[in-house]
Amino acid sequence: MKRIYLFLGVMIPCLLLLATGCDRSEKKAAYQKPKTLTLAVGGEKAEGFDPTLGWGSYGSPLFFSTLLKRDADLNIVPDLATAWKLVDNQLTWIITIRRAVVFSDGSPLSAADVAYTFNTAAAAGGMLDLSNLQRAEAVSDTKVVLRLKQPDITFIQYLITLGIVPARQHDSGFGRHPVGSGPYKLVRWDEGQQMIVAANERYYGGQPFFKRLVFLFAAEDTALAAARAGQIDVLAVSSVMAAQKIPGMKLHVVKSVDNRGLMFPILPNTGKRTPRGLPIGNDVTADIAIRKAVNYAVDRKALVTGVLDGYGRPAFGVADNLPWDNPQIRFKDGDPERAVKILEKAGWVDSNGDGIREKDGKEAEFTILYNVRDRLRQGLAIAVSDMLKPVGIKAVPRGENWDRIKKETHANVVVYGFGGHTPLEMYSLYHSPGPEPMYRNAGFYSNPVVDSYLDQARKAASFAESIPMWKKAQWDGKTGFSVPGDAAWAWLVNLDHTYFINQRLNVGKSQMEPHGHGWPITANIDQWKWN
Amino acid sequence: MFTIIKFLFLKTTRLALLIAAVAVLSFVLVSNSPIDPVDAYAGAAILNISPEQRDIIAQRWGVDKPPIERFLTWAGQLVQGDFGVSAIFNEPVLDVISKRFITSFWLMALAWSFSGALGFGLGLTAGAWEGSLIDRGIRIYAYTMASTPTFWVGIVLLMVFSVFLSWTPTCCAWPIGMSADQATIWQRLHHLLLPVITLSLIGIAKITLHTREKTIEAMHSDYAIFARAQGESTIGIVLRQAVRNVALPAVTLQFASLGELFGGAVLAEQVFAYPGLGRATVEAGIGGDVPLLLGIVLISTVFVFTGNSVADFIYQLVDPRMRKVAGSSS
Repeated sequence: MKRIYLFLGVMIPCLLLLATGCDRSEKKAAYQKPKTLTLAVGGEKAEGFDPTLGWGSYGSPLFFSTLLKRDADLNIVPDLATAWKLVDNQLTWIITIRRAVVFSDGSPLSAADVAYTFNTAAAAGGMLDLSNLQRAEAVSDTKVVLRLKQPDITFIQYLITLGIVPARQHDSGFGRHPVGSGPYKLVRWDEGQQMIVAANERYYGGQPFFKRLVFLFAAEDTALAAARAGQIDVLAVSSVMAAQKIPGMKLHVVKSVDNRGLMFPILPNTGKRTPRGLPIGNDVTADIAIRKAVNYAVDRKALVTGVLDGYGRPAFGVADNLPWDNPQIRFKDGDPERAVKILEKAGWVDSNGDGIREKDGKEAEFTILYNVRDRLRQGLAIAVSDMLKPVGIKAVPRGENWDRIKKETHANVVVYGFGGHTPLEMYSLYHSPGPEPMYRNAGFYSNPVVDSYLDQARKAASFAESIPMWKKAQWDGKTGFSVPGDAAWAWLVNLDHTYFINQRLNVGKSQMEPHGHGWPITANIDQWKWN
Repeated sequence: MFTIIKFLFLKTTRLALLIAAVAVLSFVLVSNSPIDPVDAYAGAAILNISPEQRDIIAQRWGVDKPPIERFLTWAGQLVQGDFGVSAIFNEPVLDVISKRFITSFWLMALAWSFSGALGFGLGLTAGAWEGSLIDRGIRIYAYTMASTPTFWVGIVLLMVFSVFLSWTPTCCAWPIGMSADQATIWQRLHHLLLPVITLSLIGIAKITLHTREKTIEAMHSDYAIFARAQGESTIGIVLRQAVRNVALPAVTLQFASLGELFGGAVLAEQVFAYPGLGRATVEAGIGGDVPLLLGIVLISTVFVFTGNSVADFIYQLVDPRMRKVAGSSS
């Protein structure tokens, strides 16, 4: 339908122009394709598009620009900042920003806006945790100083993700009327339905090819129906749906660190509880032999084929293929013989012939909890359980809702999924936990050597210098939290994110995507074009 | 005149009591819900949020205080007409509701009128020709619909009319990429069509079955038999004798179904991605947004209560006997 209008819209003026003898515009019109894209990739933020509350931390911040950004290979490159350094024992960031940058309403962007954004975000109580920020100050129009309470290199993540807002316009309704210095500006937002954005002609980074974007916020089934009706150019679909054909669209598969894995409780059950009364510990998974045996027995390739329909790749760590991933932690899996050897050596034998091994009168049995609403996690839990049976470990999958899982997480194996573009996640999952860790190291894993590497990594003088420390925390040749070491988790798979895109659309090279399927594909949207 | 004032006074007192009871009850229910709003808010980014930051978020929403204190603060604001600020939408609850109510209102109003008129007509027809082929057809339809979930009907209609036939749009309240004021009234009606049909199809069942029963009763009554003895045709008896007697229970039922309509709209809006109050309710529930959920509960209480009161009022207009009863008791 759209094409017919376009055709008429192009042909009729052309004929008129031809009649008046103007042929120059005819040539031009013949090559013109619509510069509008319709996307159904989610991304609606009910509370509005306010970066100080955490909008834009995945994918393109769209209306905003950030001090630094990550390129397609996840290297840190400048955006608003032209120079940055970390001084004063890693406690002070000194950042110089571009001159002559303006917001989409024409007002200038100065260092004062940057300082305002950081100070506001720290106090706002949103999804960004800037509690380590002491104070941000603008020392000149183009220079801003961020003072930290403690040295922490992972703070750089906020330089990469926090979109700069104009101090003057920023009020409680800002999220519904965002004004920024990014490639696009908001035209209108019909809450719960769609968002229309247009190219920001004042953007300093070069004009995007697509002048107008329509984001449709609809459930997957509805969006799929709209795509079949030819109304959508980019559609995020779960991998279960990826096998079908949609006329005029092709499948675009993006690798991700959107991982799924089994968290093991590391402490034995001594009746201890957290301050809130949640039980801690599991006698079976407290044995490193069990944890290693699970890791070796599971066939991750089979999980990818069987559960993910092939849209994924085996996972061995929390940050596979990210710059801080240690390749030495890979091992040969799907190896039940090795699992059996480990178990027997540790004293787990099947003495009563029921197919399940015992040690000191304890059966090698544990529960795998998974979010009951997530079919993928259910599939993983069941498949893993089947793979463990032959080696004599009984793993009982049990679906629960999150609030129930939260109460039992310190005493049971749980299928979790994480995967972000910051090594802070690694720290949260593996550093010795506080008394009430919740999801942060729910298994109470603790290794002083790993702790020291993680602490050193955070105190590093630059992001590049922190990387060897992150790698050593995983495995330093002797110890580490990964499978050659303490095997604190059994990571299973990294999902592939599947999209249907218009056959003519060129989306360039997509970043390795974080947890969250949909919006992250917009990371390089200002470089998309028609083929 | 005095009766009307008394009627209104009684109704208002009852409404106030009802609101107080509903407010307390729903607050107790919601604050005992296992959903942690901070977890729901942070999602997978939870690992990057330290316990200190959790406290800051909880403070912003006021969920760090004990339930009784929260209730008193909330109730105190409510008395002054302030419904509080929605946690997930980060804007005043009344703004959130009013934006969505208009969209939902048209959907519900149309569905309600269609299902009422059609259901009444079908019920009368079925009842008047009891046992006939047409009665059986209507009955089978009504029983089937009475036991079919709304969302399922919605999905089937969507598959047939939007995907296979492309007669109706797949989603939204107006065409994708257009703004509300660019869309013509026809486009908006076009987008309303399928959700309205879904809701109506389901809503018809109950009123049809009840009207049918009442019509059969009326057709067997002395006055109907007498009329027939005088040579009145079946249609004549239905139109002149039965309708007025059947109308009363139908009105009660139709107004009492406002509550169900609300529930049905929640599901239909989910299926058709229609951005009304129903979707906001679901989001508020999943996100543990107490002020918004309570706001919606209260508004819908008033809505349903008003509906029932209108029914009470209409009785007195439709049925002269009710006026007498009300009059004699004063």
